Amino acid sequence: MIELHDVSKTFEGKRQVLALDHVSLQIAKGEMVSLVGPSGSGKSTLLNLIGGLDHPSSGEIVIDGERLSAVSDDELTRVRRDKIGFIFQFFNLLPTLSCLENVSLPLHLRGWKKQKAHERARELLDLVKLGKRVEHLPEELSGGERQRVAIARALSIYPPILLADEPTGNLDSHTGEDILKLIRDLHERLNATILMVTHDNGVAESCQRTIRLRDGVIVEDIRR
Amino acid sequence: MMLLRLLTLPYVRKHLLRTGLTIAGVALGVLVFVGMRTANDSVLYGFQQTVDRIAGKAQLQITSGEGGFPEEVLERVQAMEEINIAVPVIEAQVKTGLQGQGNILILAVDMTGDRSLRSYDIEEGEDAVVDDPLVFLAQPDSIILTREFAQQNNLSVGSKVSFDTMVGPKSFTVRGIMKPGGLASAFGGNLAVMDIYAAQHVFGRGRSFDRIDLTLKEGIALDQGRQAIEKLLGAGYQVEAPSQRGKQFETISKLFAVAASLNSLFALLIGLFIIYNTFSIAVAQRRSEIGIARALGATRAQIRNLFLLESALLGLTGSLTGIAGGLIMAKGMASYIGQFLGDLYGVAQHTEGLALNPQTLLLAVGVGVLTSMVAAWIPARDAARIDPVKALHKGSYESITASENRWRLVTATAFVGIAAFCLVTGGTSGPKLYVGYFSVVAASVLATPILVRALILGLRPLLRLVLPVEGALAADSLMQSPRRTSATVAAVMLSLSLVVGLGGIADASYASILDWVESVVNPDLFVGTNEQISERSFRFPASLGDEIRKLDLVDEVQTVRSTRVNYRGTPVMLVAIPMLQVQGRIKPKVVAGPANVFEAAAKEGGVVLGDNLALLQNLNVGDMMEISSPSGVLRLPITGIAIDYTDQLGAILIDRSLYLKHWKDETANLFRVYLKKGVTPEAGKQQILMRFGSQNRLFVMTNRQLRDYIVKVTDQWFGLTYMQIFVAVLVATLGIVNSLTVSITDRRRELGVLQAVGGLRRQVRQAIWMEAAGIGLVSVILGLALGGLILYYYLGIIREDMAGIRLEYVYPVKIALLLAPTMLAVSWLSALGPGESAVRASLVEALEYE
Repeated sequence: MIELHDVSKTFEGKRQVLALDHVSLQIAKGEMVSLVGPSGSGKSTLLNLIGGLDHPSSGEIVIDGERLSAVSDDELTRVRRDKIGFIFQFFNLLPTLSCLENVSLPLHLRGWKKQKAHERARELLDLVKLGKRVEHLPEELSGGERQRVAIARALSIYPPILLADEPTGNLDSHTGEDILKLIRDLHERLNATILMVTHDNGVAESCQRTIRLRDGVIVEDIRR
Repeated sequence: MMLLRLLTLPYVRKHLLRTGLTIAGVALGVLVFVGMRTANDSVLYGFQQTVDRIAGKAQLQITSGEGGFPEEVLERVQAMEEINIAVPVIEAQVKTGLQGQGNILILAVDMTGDRSLRSYDIEEGEDAVVDDPLVFLAQPDSIILTREFAQQNNLSVGSKVSFDTMVGPKSFTVRGIMKPGGLASAFGGNLAVMDIYAAQHVFGRGRSFDRIDLTLKEGIALDQGRQAIEKLLGAGYQVEAPSQRGKQFETISKLFAVAASLNSLFALLIGLFIIYNTFSIAVAQRRSEIGIARALGATRAQIRNLFLLESALLGLTGSLTGIAGGLIMAKGMASYIGQFLGDLYGVAQHTEGLALNPQTLLLAVGVGVLTSMVAAWIPARDAARIDPVKALHKGSYESITASENRWRLVTATAFVGIAAFCLVTGGTSGPKLYVGYFSVVAASVLATPILVRALILGLRPLLRLVLPVEGALAADSLMQSPRRTSATVAAVMLSLSLVVGLGGIADASYASILDWVESVVNPDLFVGTNEQISERSFRFPASLGDEIRKLDLVDEVQTVRSTRVNYRGTPVMLVAIPMLQVQGRIKPKVVAGPANVFEAAAKEGGVVLGDNLALLQNLNVGDMMEISSPSGVLRLPITGIAIDYTDQLGAILIDRSLYLKHWKDETANLFRVYLKKGVTPEAGKQQILMRFGSQNRLFVMTNRQLRDYIVKVTDQWFGLTYMQIFVAVLVATLGIVNSLTVSITDRRRELGVLQAVGGLRRQVRQAIWMEAAGIGLVSVILGLALGGLILYYYLGIIREDMAGIRLEYVYPVKIALLLAPTMLAVSWLSALGPGESAVRASLVEALEYE
């Protein structure tokens, strides 16, 4: 489902920083993988490259058979919107849109009719147990609720791949566990491929596979 | 200073574009201010320079309006015991006919006495000729030129040069060439000196002079001398020091200067909103920095002063940029304005380079810095009030609280109340008119956030209908930042209201002028001394009118003599016409008095006033008017008031017989010629030119040509208006670009999310375009509405205080219809740059952006 061949990423600035150093990796369909490592090890960079948010300096990334380096920017966006759902640490909800509108946003961007998009959004909000708060604005929700809206948004297109960047990093431990449980449920029910960046060993160990990065290099790949 | 270095400089470095746009907001206003004022100053300076250089040692100058006075006045003045030297002068501005030379000023003097007053520094040639004035006099074709003019045209002593005169093109012989400097540099060096008695003949002055230049005997004070002359000659004469003539020109061109100043002040007012917007955003964005500084011990005053200092520095930079731009603009405009004022008011002047007035430059810096600080005052105060604890929390802080909204609504309603009170209690004139005007503008500005929110809420479904996601996002973004949105809308709204107001004035003026032309300008032909009707250097002998009347194609000729006279300090136009004849041919638009207003005036020996003069000077039918003439002060009854656009400063129409009696001047400026039935204007024109063209300098215009000329002069006047409109649209564009640039920076993360969840570049771009369209649309709606209101006040101000012209209120629909799509297009164009920068930004950085 996800293939990385000899991928490197260098950030140019006053000093050149090698964030990923010749990384190769394969993740099969339906796998739930955690990505761990100390700060600056390249976890988020790897996630951004897989999500098509950034371009590798060298190497090849293939998502569901499509080579990302060979596609235009709009095609890359299409790959992203058809195959990938994002969950961010800081939720990144649009503050002026209601929960329902936030969740249905990716569907609208695909040209779905309002009624159909809202129907799907309501289903997903029910799934994340926010069925009664569809009209609320993000600022009216708690951190955990916001993350659940963000998850519902990421799932709105039933993406085969779900990328989560520290999904529990900004939540208290109790809420974090709830969210993790939700992600695992969704993984089981939807059989999505999940790649999750985390600092939390407990979270990492609950995944089928854990990849450890250090200084831009994979130093450990544990399958359970 | 340390705070400035630590907090401001990094922010400015990071937001160079925004800083640039803020500076541009000040610079634009200052540019127009400096440009227009310096151009005007240069024109005035050029005029005064010419006057001073020509005046030589003259301490006083005697004139009687523009009309001149009989020769014997000179003898009476020369006989006074206070007088040392008194010499006569005639001045005429003529076309040279030489490539690239334009006009030349002919200074006609009496060589026998003039050399003791003016220094003719002759550098070469037959010195004997000028050394012996009698020889100069004996040869009436003699002329002295400046070296500059002679060199430019390859002329030397003995050369022949031809100028237009009343008796057709006349050849003059160059008898001397003046060295550069002093007198020779008057009128930009385009100066020629000739004998005054020859000039009387060739410029149609009869036996009169334009002016007497004099010096007083030693020991006689200027005031004492002036009073003695005034006592001798009576009130029909003006006795002034040469330096006073610049003031007269200033009075004549005052209307133009006022319009130019208003233009620049309005540009600065709009700039104020741009600066306010930028600082409001800066305060919102730097909230956490302010919080940290406060937590570390910075006082409220330090924070407030930091922002004020920042604004002062930006204002200073903007002012200096504006001054540089303004001087470039002035250089380009000075000769245009000079030419235009010369054409419009018939005043001989030549603009020479730029007159840098330190006062203008200092004022520009002061106004620029002050505007910037005033605009930054509220954001600076808000910054000082930031609570350090709250400031360190993340989130959106740019909102208008309910209590502020309430306060705005109450104050705006109060202003509406004041405006309404002024209106119903006779607020069509005086201070109430201005109070009403400012109340309407203040109410609009205060209510802008409320109106903007209501309009965007109303527009949201429309935007969503066009593009569901992008439209909704655009509308939400606008509502999410009420301060930013409303400040931009206020700036654009004011710009557009200015455009509607000015456009409305232009529309109404054209309509009124054309209406007046239709009713009054009905002769088939006009015979004048110049292509410019306003130019009065040349005059016809009255006998020419009789000669034209004898032509077989001509039915009637009306002789017109117009000249400026001083009325209550204003040089107004005195127009002498054969009133009974005129009454038989035209139907004047009478405002007060009998319908046969000219006939009545002729019979009662009264005057008919132009409506604008009556309004400006508060004169009514039945009032007695005191007019200075060479025969003394005349007290004439006002028998009627009629619409008249002969002159911007106002016209007094009197019967020709009255003029002949009191001014003793038989010359004419213009003949209104009616042709016999069936005769085409072209045939009549040909006949006049064939018969008189070779002996006289005359220009024949058909009715159509004169109407075109009037429209052309009106166009020139409104050229300034079009410039104002251009500035207003430019400022509007600047405001929208500024707002969108800020909006995109503010929403970097949001736009990143949009792309991360599947938004195509096209969709993000369109969301930004929709936002721009939203600002444009709301601004157009509010601007057109406010424009409609302020047009009412503008017309009142023009009527009461500026030109005295009653213009009918007609909403400029055409301009509004043109403005709406133009502003939407401008909004869209303004969004192109910011839109592209948004979609090309790094997604990863955008998602991490705080």
